[in-house]
Amino acid sequence: MTSPFEVFRQWWDYYRERQFWRLFRIFVARIFRGGGDSDSEGLDLGVGLVLTLLALPGGFVSVLMFVKYSTLLSWMRGARNINPAAVAMPDEYFFIALSMAVTGTVAVWRWDALFPDRRDYMNLVPQPISTWTIFFANLFAVLFLASLISIDVNAASSVLFPLGVGAAQTSFLFFVKFALVHVLIVGLASIFAFLAVLSLLGFLLVVLPPRVFRRISQYARVLVVMYFVTMLSTSFAIPERLQRLSLDAQAWLTLLPSCWFLGMWQSLHGGSSPSLVVLGRLALPGLAVMFAAAFSVYALGYRRHFLRIPEMADIPSNRREGKASPFLGWFDRLILRTPFQRGCFHFVWRTLFRSEAHRLALAAIAGLGLVLGLQFLAAAQNSARGSAPSADALAIPFVLVFFIVVGVRLVFEIPVDVRSNWIFRLTLDAGQHECRALARNVILTFIVPWLVLIALPLYTYFYGWIVASLHTLLVAAWSVLLTQAVLIRFRKLPFTCPLPVFQQHSIVTLLGTLFGFFLFALLTPQIESWALSEPLRMIFFLPAAVVFWYVPHRIEESSIEVEKGLIFEEVPTRAVEVLRLGD
Amino acid sequence: MLEALHLTKRYASLPAVQDLSFTLRPGQVLGCLGPNGSGKSTTVKMLTGLLEPTRGVVQLYGQDIRHDLPGFRKRLGYVPEEAHLYPYLTGWEYLEMIATLRGMPRTKLAITIDSLLELFSMHPHRFASIGSYSKGMRQRILLIAALMDNPDIFIFDEPLSGLDVTSALIFKNLVHELGRSGKLVFYCSHVLEVVEKVCTDVLILRKGTVIAQDSVINIRKILGQSLENTFLHLVDDVDTARVASDIVSVMSAA
Repeated sequence: MTSPFEVFRQWWDYYRERQFWRLFRIFVARIFRGGGDSDSEGLDLGVGLVLTLLALPGGFVSVLMFVKYSTLLSWMRGARNINPAAVAMPDEYFFIALSMAVTGTVAVWRWDALFPDRRDYMNLVPQPISTWTIFFANLFAVLFLASLISIDVNAASSVLFPLGVGAAQTSFLFFVKFALVHVLIVGLASIFAFLAVLSLLGFLLVVLPPRVFRRISQYARVLVVMYFVTMLSTSFAIPERLQRLSLDAQAWLTLLPSCWFLGMWQSLHGGSSPSLVVLGRLALPGLAVMFAAAFSVYALGYRRHFLRIPEMADIPSNRREGKASPFLGWFDRLILRTPFQRGCFHFVWRTLFRSEAHRLALAAIAGLGLVLGLQFLAAAQNSARGSAPSADALAIPFVLVFFIVVGVRLVFEIPVDVRSNWIFRLTLDAGQHECRALARNVILTFIVPWLVLIALPLYTYFYGWIVASLHTLLVAAWSVLLTQAVLIRFRKLPFTCPLPVFQQHSIVTLLGTLFGFFLFALLTPQIESWALSEPLRMIFFLPAAVVFWYVPHRIEESSIEVEKGLIFEEVPTRAVEVLRLGD
Repeated sequence: MLEALHLTKRYASLPAVQDLSFTLRPGQVLGCLGPNGSGKSTTVKMLTGLLEPTRGVVQLYGQDIRHDLPGFRKRLGYVPEEAHLYPYLTGWEYLEMIATLRGMPRTKLAITIDSLLELFSMHPHRFASIGSYSKGMRQRILLIAALMDNPDIFIFDEPLSGLDVTSALIFKNLVHELGRSGKLVFYCSHVLEVVEKVCTDVLILRKGTVIAQDSVINIRKILGQSLENTFLHLVDDVDTARVASDIVSVMSAA
C-alpha cells in the first residue's frame, strides 16, 4: 500500500512540473537575480546572503533592546508596576517603520524585475503558454516574494522583541499574545509597503508613455527610498508626538501608514490614546484599498507593458543630444587635465546617476544625511541666538559633507558589470597614478556647487559675510581633507573591480568611520562656534589642517611603486606566496 | 611586424596554449581557426596584453609589448568575442569615452565618431542606451570603437557575431581594405567561409598547439580541398553527415 507521504510526493512531483509552477520558479529566480532589458550589473549577492542581510537589522536591534527591558535595570531605575505595552510602544513603532522600510526598499531595488520583461516575452510567448498563465504565475511570484521578505525581515524581532518585553512578566500568555500581535502588525505593515511600491510602479506604467516612464521611474525610485529612510530616521520622534499632541493639531500624521499600524497595535493591546485609536481604524481599510489598487494597476500595467513589448522593441530612440554647456567645456579643460581624467570622470559620473544599484545606494545614504541635517536645523531653530552661530547651525553642512564623502566612497566599491571593464584594462596605463585624483574630483563635484551656491548665501544672509566666508572656507578645506583621508591607497577605477571580500580591518574601518563622524560633524562645529565668536581664533584650525593633510600624504608617499598601480581585482595579501617554479 | 614567440599559458599547471609562435606582417590578414577550447581566446588575450604568458613573448617590431603596454595598445584596435559594454551609457557616450581615453584630439573626435556611426547605420540610435541595443548594434559599436583611432594593428575575435548581412559584407570588404593599406590584422573566427574569403594566411589550433600555419592558397593546394574540409580533416575527424543523421533519429524517437 502506498503511504500518504508517497502519494503527496507523487502529487507534488506532478504539479511542480506543470507549466504554471515552472513559470513561477522562473519568475521568482528573475526577481531575485534581477531583470530589466539591460545587462546584469554585477551585484548578484545570491538569495541566501540577501535574506540574511535583510534579517540582520531586526535581529540586531532586538538584541540591543534587551538592555532596555532588563528587569534588573528597571528595578535599579525604580520602575515598578509598569505597563509593558506602553513602554514598548516607541520600539514597536520602530519595528513597524523598519519592516516597511526594508520591504519597501527591496521592492524598489527589484522594481524592474517585478513585471515580466522583454527577455521573458521573447522566451515565453513563442511557447504554447497562454498569456494569462504568465500573468498569474508572475503575480503569484511577486506575492510570494512579498510574503517571504515580510517573514524574513520580521522573523528575528518576532521572537526576540516579545522575549525582551515579556522578561519581567510572569505569564507565558503575555509573551504569546504580545508575539502574535507583533507578528500580525509588522507582517501587515511589510505587505502594505510592498504593495504601495507595486501600486506606484503599476500606476506609472499605466499612465506614462514607455519612454517617459523610464525617465520618471528613476526619480520616483530615489524619492521612495528617501521617504523610507526618512520614515526610519524619524521613528524615534513620532510615537512621542502621537502621545503628547492631539491628532487635530497634527493632521498630517494620518497620512503616515506606519502610524495606522501603530494605532492598530495599540488597539489590540487595549490602549486608549485617542489619536492612535483613530489612526488604528485606518489600517485594515488602507491595506484592503492598497491590495485592490496594486492588483488593478498590476493587471492594467501588464496589459500595457508586457503585451506591447514587440511593438516597443524596434522604435528608434528620438532622444536628442544635450547641448554641451560652456561650463562643462571649461571644467574639462581646467579641472580634468588628462585624457584619463576626462574619459573616466564622465564614466564615473554617469554610472552614479544611471546605474540602479549605485543610484539607490547613494540615495539611501544621502537621505540619511539629509534627515540628520534636518535634525540639526530643527535644533538650531530652538537654540538661543548669540553673536556667533550655534554649533547646531554650523553642523548642517558638515553632516551633509560627511555623508556625501563616505557615501560616494562606499558606492565606488559597488561593481558595475565587471566583465565590461576589459576596455579599461586595454586602454588605461596602470602606471598612471590618477585614480585618487579622479575619485577626489568626483567627490568634490558633489560638494563644492551647493556649498558655494546655497550654503554661502544662506549663511551670509543669517550671519553676515565674514562668518559665512570663514565657515564655507572651513567646510571646503575639511571636505578636501576628509576626501583625502577616505581615499588613502585608493588605486582602482570606481565600479570596475569585483566587490571586495570582508576583511579583518573592515570592523576597524567601521569604528573609524563612527569616530570620524564624531570628529568631523560634531566636534568641529562645536570648536568653530567657539572660534567664530572671535574670528581670529579660526587660526587654530590651521595646525589641525596641516596634520590632517600630512598624515594621508605621508602614507601615500611611503607606498612602494607596486602598491600604487591601477588594479582591477583586489587580491588579499597571502601569508605564503607560492613561486610555482614547476610551471 | 607582430611576433608571438613560444607563447605558453598554463592555468594551475593545465596548459591552455603551448609553444605558439607566428609572425604577422604589415598587409597580412592572419586567420585563426580552431574548435572550442583550442586556445584561441587565450591567444588573443595574450596578444592584446590582457593576459600575461606563462612563458614566451609577444613582440612588436622586436620590442616586447609588455615593456610599453600603453604604447602598444594605442596602436591596437581590438574587438572582443563578447560585446560587454556598459548598458546605461548611450552608444555615443561610450565611443566618446573610448576616444577620450585613447587621447584622440577633441576637434577630431566628434567628427570621426559621427561619420563612423553614419557609415555603420548607427547614427539614428546614437543617443539610445546600449542596454536597449540588439546584439548586432552592440557589435557595430565595438567595431567603431576599434577603428576610430586609426590603429596599426587589429585583433578581431568573432567580429561578425550578430551582424546583419549588409554590415557583415561591409566588414569583410573593410578587412580587405585594412590589409591592403598595410595594417596588421589578426582574425579569429569559427566561420570558415569568412576566414577563407578575408584572410591571406591561416593558423589552425588544436588543444593549444598549432597544427597548421600557411597561406590559405597553399593549404588548399597541399590538401586539395576547401578550407572547411581541411579544417575538419586536421582538427576533428568527425563524420558530420552521420552526426546530423543521428540527431534526426533522436528527434524522431522523441
